[in-house]
Amino acid sequence: MLRDITLGQYFPGNSVFHRTDPRVKIVLTMLYIVAVFMADSLLSYLIMTAGTILLIAVSRIPLKTVTSGFKTILFIIIFTAVLNIFWTKGENLLFSFGIINVYAEGLIHAGKMVLRLACLLMGTSVLISYTTSPIALTDGLERLLSPLKVIKLPVHEFAMMMTIALRFIPTLIEETDKIMNAQKARGADFTEGNLLQRAKALIPILIPLFVSAFMRAGELATAMECRCYHGGEGRTRMTVLKTKPLDWILLSVFIAYGVGIILL
Amino acid sequence: MTKIELKGVSYLYGGKTPFEKKALNNINACIEEGSITGIIGHTGSGKSTLVQLLNGLLRPTEGQILLDGRDIWEKPKKMRALRFKVGLVFQYPEYQLFEETVKQDIAFGPKNMGLSSDEAERRVMDAAKFCGLGQELMGKSPFELSGGQKRRVAIAGVMAMSPEVLILDEPAAGLDPQGRSDIFGGICEYRRKTGATVIIVSHSMEDIARYCDRVLVMSKGQVWAEGSCDEIFSRADELEAIGLDIPQIARLVRLLKEKGVDLGDKLYTVGDVYRALLPYFTGGDGGAS
Amino acid sequence: MKKFIEIKNLNFSYEGDEGERVPVLHDINLDINKGEFVTILGRNGSGKSTLAKVINMILTPDSGELRIDGKNIAAELTDEELMAVRRRVGMVFQNPDNQLVATIVEEDIAFGPENLGIPSAEIRQRVDDALDTVGMKAFARHSPHQLSGGQKQRIAIAGIIAMLPECIIFDESTAMLDPKGRQEVMDTIEKLNREKGITIIAITHNMEEAVRGDRIVVIDGGRIVKQGTPKDVFAKPYELWELGLAVPQVTELFDMLRCLGADLPESVITEEEGAEKLARLLETK
Repeated sequence: MLRDITLGQYFPGNSVFHRTDPRVKIVLTMLYIVAVFMADSLLSYLIMTAGTILLIAVSRIPLKTVTSGFKTILFIIIFTAVLNIFWTKGENLLFSFGIINVYAEGLIHAGKMVLRLACLLMGTSVLISYTTSPIALTDGLERLLSPLKVIKLPVHEFAMMMTIALRFIPTLIEETDKIMNAQKARGADFTEGNLLQRAKALIPILIPLFVSAFMRAGELATAMECRCYHGGEGRTRMTVLKTKPLDWILLSVFIAYGVGIILL
Repeated sequence: MTKIELKGVSYLYGGKTPFEKKALNNINACIEEGSITGIIGHTGSGKSTLVQLLNGLLRPTEGQILLDGRDIWEKPKKMRALRFKVGLVFQYPEYQLFEETVKQDIAFGPKNMGLSSDEAERRVMDAAKFCGLGQELMGKSPFELSGGQKRRVAIAGVMAMSPEVLILDEPAAGLDPQGRSDIFGGICEYRRKTGATVIIVSHSMEDIARYCDRVLVMSKGQVWAEGSCDEIFSRADELEAIGLDIPQIARLVRLLKEKGVDLGDKLYTVGDVYRALLPYFTGGDGGAS
Repeated sequence: MKKFIEIKNLNFSYEGDEGERVPVLHDINLDINKGEFVTILGRNGSGKSTLAKVINMILTPDSGELRIDGKNIAAELTDEELMAVRRRVGMVFQNPDNQLVATIVEEDIAFGPENLGIPSAEIRQRVDDALDTVGMKAFARHSPHQLSGGQKQRIAIAGIIAMLPECIIFDESTAMLDPKGRQEVMDTIEKLNREKGITIIAITHNMEEAVRGDRIVVIDGGRIVKQGTPKDVFAKPYELWELGLAVPQVTELFDMLRCLGADLPESVITEEEGAEKLARLLETK
């Protein structure tokens, strides 16, 4: 059923990364991505992999959860690996089969590629997706980007939109479910017929869904007005994000990690 | 004659996930043809799951649901045909309206049944009449109507399929007293004209006491009790213990009993209590009313 | 008694599809005292919700006077003045889903005070107090999506009381709830009125809720057609039936008994009172 879809991948816990300031985590993630892309020599690859393993260990997210994200992009990984194996030309020909030549360089290249993608995926998901709740992430982004308000970028409005979207996604999923059932009870059929017929069968769902979404939006706007909402100006926050020593330590570790990978 | 029979029906939500939850547990019940049965139970007691099972929107994890003696899941491919026989009106059904005109919206069900346009037209008109929707409304957009009217259009949309069993989940929720009696009036009219079996899910004991002849009480995913209004409402204390409200007038009768005035049992509508009190005020034997 | 809201000759209309004015409220005159609990009763579409939105200045009246604590707010207001009105007169709506903004309960309650620019530490305090008042402390870190209708509505109430209002308007706030949720919300409303002295305007078409207030104002076709204590308003049931409304079952029964010549000078609105009176009457028989 539709409502079984879980939103985001947040995995509640109390690890170091769970406790890190979301702003710092965003910066850490960016540092990490840069570092992974900079890895070049064998040693730097080793450090990169070791670092990622350490990251997963510290986050205390079960390995099964971390690797499960793999399935969705497995195809892309295999595809790029195969491309790399067949198309990389080098000096050490391993074997050839008709027009296909496989070189040792190709294999190494593909191996590096897979390793890099794997680290990237697991590292960022541990740093951000699994250990940060969507609301903390939105909050962190808003505050991190707040200097951009000076150049009139609607940072607050963007964050508000994200928050409301996160709040209403489960509601709208439930509503879709309900409307679908109601139309099914009137004999609507969503599974038969050709593509055009099926597209047409969606009208009885989409129209009520839009009507209700607009109605909700209107009511929410009124309710927000009643609660004195008037944009980001002069607004305070209940939770103040304060960086703790832990955040600075993590930041230094990550910088060292990045510099290490680049230098070696 | 039994119209619907539930045999050991259980339903599990989110099967094989950590969120697995037993919504219904071994339900056994019979619904008589032509009766109006009220289903009561507090939120989360399994009422909504039960009505979706009856309509084939959900499939029982265990057990069987028999309509006229035949398992409704005998031929899963024929499920649509079943839905035309067992019409289900959801809570706040006005949110399902989508057509350009009231008439087209009511005709959505009949059209899905593949009826000829003459037959569909006739059914739409009948359904509109049951629900007290005048001709002048038929060409209007359903979105222009008042809340109560929209509700009636949505109910007419299910009645237009002429179901043998009409199930309504909280048909009068959120409406004012006049709106409520309009809705229930329409349902009673439909039953009188077609002889259909009606099942009403409601939180309002007053409405159940007034309109239903049988009551099914759900609690914690099971049938807690089943019987006539007399049998069920005479167990007021137990009903309250499982978190249900009893009609105000029944609470009055109970308070009187505590004060030593026993008016008798089976008093749960204003009329009942009035008749019980008549002898005291007319001095006669209470026959006059 | 000090008047908190004064409405004089107020009219409101909205613009129809063809640009014509469609009148909704006609010549409304209504005073509401500080600390009073007023119920506004009327059918769907009678204009009762419009009146609520006018008091809160979500809608601007066409003409007439609207004073809150002596200050005429129907006049041109600056943004700050408008915000001040909305802080003092809070509003809770019908659908609990469409008024919660945040994905975490306590973040949502903080939304109003945050908009008012209250310092962080004080917001924290207010949120905790509000959670306490509505009895939802255990759910502070929950997502609204996990709560029942009654609980969501209590969170919406907490979000309003965290702005420290003097008056709260409940626009059919119990209409979509089950009996348990209804009871939870009504008890919370009564508590706010009794313990915190907050002025309450509750809009409803549920008769058993209406008897809980100090005064009932009946609206029909955009006009005030009746007002008084619940006993007065329910004194003649047929007048309410004519308006498409109803009376509590007990009131109906006692009206019927009165027609039989029973000695019942005033109407009865609760079952406790009814049982008391009836027991005494029957003793003499």
